[in-house]
Amino acid sequence: MHEPAPIVETRDLRKVFRTVRRRPGALGALRTLFSRDYEERIAVSNVTMSVDAGELVGYIGQNGAGKSTTIKMLTGILVPSGGEIRVAGIVPYENRKQNARNIGVVFGQRSQLYWDLPLVESFELLRAIYAIPRERYQRNVDEFTDLLEMREFLNTPVRQLSLGQRMRGDFAAAMLHDPAIVYLDEPTIGLDVVAKEAIRAFITRVNTERGTTVILTTHDLADVERLCRRIVLIDHGSIIYDGDVERIKSEYGRFRTLVVTFAAAVESPALPGAELAGVQGTTARFRFDRNGERADRLIRIASERYPLEDVSIEEPDLESIIRRIYREGYEQRTEEATR
Amino acid sequence: MPAAYAQYWRINLLTMLEYRANFAMWFVFTVVYHAVALGALYVTMRQFPSMNGWTFREMFFLYALWMSGHELHNAVFFQIVSVPEFVREGQFDRFLVRPLDALFQILIVPQQLLPDGLVLAIVTLCVAVPFAGLKVTPLVVLFIALIVCGGALIDLGISLAVATVSFWFVRVDTLRWAVMSLEQDFTRYPISIYARGVRVVLAFVLPFAFMNYFPATFLLQKQETGLGLNPIVGLLTPAIGLAWFGVSYAFWGAGLRRYQGTGS
Repeated sequence: MHEPAPIVETRDLRKVFRTVRRRPGALGALRTLFSRDYEERIAVSNVTMSVDAGELVGYIGQNGAGKSTTIKMLTGILVPSGGEIRVAGIVPYENRKQNARNIGVVFGQRSQLYWDLPLVESFELLRAIYAIPRERYQRNVDEFTDLLEMREFLNTPVRQLSLGQRMRGDFAAAMLHDPAIVYLDEPTIGLDVVAKEAIRAFITRVNTERGTTVILTTHDLADVERLCRRIVLIDHGSIIYDGDVERIKSEYGRFRTLVVTFAAAVESPALPGAELAGVQGTTARFRFDRNGERADRLIRIASERYPLEDVSIEEPDLESIIRRIYREGYEQRTEEATR
Repeated sequence: MPAAYAQYWRINLLTMLEYRANFAMWFVFTVVYHAVALGALYVTMRQFPSMNGWTFREMFFLYALWMSGHELHNAVFFQIVSVPEFVREGQFDRFLVRPLDALFQILIVPQQLLPDGLVLAIVTLCVAVPFAGLKVTPLVVLFIALIVCGGALIDLGISLAVATVSFWFVRVDTLRWAVMSLEQDFTRYPISIYARGVRVVLAFVLPFAFMNYFPATFLLQKQETGLGLNPIVGLLTPAIGLAWFGVSYAFWGAGLRRYQGTGS
């Protein structure tokens, strides 16, 4: 047994884009041609993180938060404006090709398969590009064909595949050369439930059985809940949370919601021990702290005060927690600090 | 890399077989394209016994020489035209996360093309050499082969430079179109028929004249009346091709660094 060692490490990673400021209108466009002033946009600032070999990390953020920029720096596509990166001991942007041997990349929205060729021909070309030994290649193709149930469409031109089939092909393509680390950028985007499940099972399997380190960016927090123990949350280019999914759930998810539907409209309903979070028609939502209040007590009070039709309790899911962190991130952190 | 290159041609052959109709149409197009150009040349030359001292037979050779270099470029480097599209549609990233040179990977993106134009060009050249009254000796064959390779490199240098511009400006279609028409229009005749400024451009800026005019002048032992140079400059074609490619490749490197800086 050996200790897990960091395989991906960044320190104060930074990326600033300098873009030409465009002036509005035709005259403005003309002026842009002659005098250029630039504006700087900080895409990633001070990202410091460390991922151990064999970890499966969800890298979460809204559109434009800096997720893709970080992934592009880790893969060697982009050169950072500052800070340090090491991936398996290699500085990606300095030794791009060497780094490429260690990594696999799946861009959910951009396939690396060749449109007009049968799936298996794309694999063959990748075998040559990565110089994968025949035997290992064949073993991997066989294994992935079984795991991802690709046998029936292995010889179909990629353009005729469904999105789910294509995605499975893309996963296999990214893993053929046995990368130590795979970056998955929105791997389940646009997929139906069944296809999502197949992809998730594959990710879990690759991570647990091959020990492949997985860094996953996604909009679909169900992916994260299902796959990751650890998440890194990024907002406006900086990391705002890095830790266990469970911890974030218990810390930020202390508040449950009691949803009460009255038999008739009630004017400004109130319950002691809970905070009114919203009223819609005859339905009111009360937020309460699971540590200080009990649901059955609140329901009893509600039923004594008002004629009720229906009552339910909503547990916070990761999605609503994260939505809240984005909305009131600082407030929450203060709360966490003073506790 | 050799294995990847072999795979690439195997796949090209396979797709060609799968899309036979497309290939057939493409081949017919190539034949018609060159036949029309040569036909136009023939019709023009029926009016004059010679043009600035060049007969139809010599100009046929001039055309065949350009065609061979150009078609060799198309056979090996054609995929470079796709660079702007790859950049625009975000597929370029893919080449940077694989362990091979990005330019090489672009050259081996399957494209359903076979070197049919090159085969056609070689056939045309085999007809053109004796037709122009050249004696076929091993030295002549070697020289022509070097000229064709140098010509392909000149074409490569130019197409790579145009493609590289797309790292700065997303659309380069107009630039490509302009350069392509320049090449097609100004390689048909001896450059001596053009205005002096055009001749200078064709010799030193976009050196299309080195693809055919200068080497043909040397081989056919003609007077160089375009710029008054010694016809021996025709031997420089491979060197000029290498130089053009070298400069373009350095420019490509700068473009790549910009791309890795901005990601767009």
